[in-house]
Amino acid sequence: MIRVQQEDFNVQSLYECLVEENKTGAVVMFVGLVRQFADLPKEQCSFELEHYPGMTEQNLSSIVTEAKGRWELLNVTVVHRVGTLSVDDQIVFVGVSSAHRAEAFQACDFIMDYLKSRAAFWKKENQGSDSKWVSANIRDEESLERW
Amino acid sequence: MQNVNVVFFASLKERMGIASYEAQLNLPVTVEELKHKLSKELNNGGSLLESGIQSSIDFEFSRDTDVIPENVKEVAFFPPVTGG
Repeated sequence: MIRVQQEDFNVQSLYECLVEENKTGAVVMFVGLVRQFADLPKEQCSFELEHYPGMTEQNLSSIVTEAKGRWELLNVTVVHRVGTLSVDDQIVFVGVSSAHRAEAFQACDFIMDYLKSRAAFWKKENQGSDSKWVSANIRDEESLERW
Repeated sequence: MQNVNVVFFASLKERMGIASYEAQLNLPVTVEELKHKLSKELNNGGSLLESGIQSSIDFEFSRDTDVIPENVKEVAFFPPVTGG
């Protein structure tokens, strides 16, 4: 399941959708949160996440298809929020289920690495009355090399 | 000549001052050729030539040397992605 949405998500419900009775031996989940990024009260800080409707979903789908080709997986769920978010809000969920833990750990790590550099999302930080677009991190691109 | 929808995102959209533009093109052309054409046609179009600007053709990431085909629906330009 792949979803790009403004509303928050419930980790417990997403977990339950990943489990298949009698088949699942491992579920690995990653949740990304908005961390405090400025020396200001958190009420004065927010994030804006822009995406490219159509392309973003296609990017995520390609990443998940690639992961399913590399590892034997049961279910994969990716939920990414867009719009305005506050400090401590959940941004992204990646969940992978499989028969064994090694596949689930690796696939989850792989999907997050590719999501950072190969999916059409852009973050903007608002600090009080100032705002600035977040620059891409060279380490995110470099981390793709291990795959 | 053919009309092709070109869209812009994030900081590039703000610098260009527009979210989309109908470009008149003699297809096929490369992404790089489109960038140079728009850099002359649009106010602040020079932003398209800055290093790191990425592109897509019909929702697939593309490179400057990629050819925009005659049946194209949409081309996009944007800064490096920062999701997750």
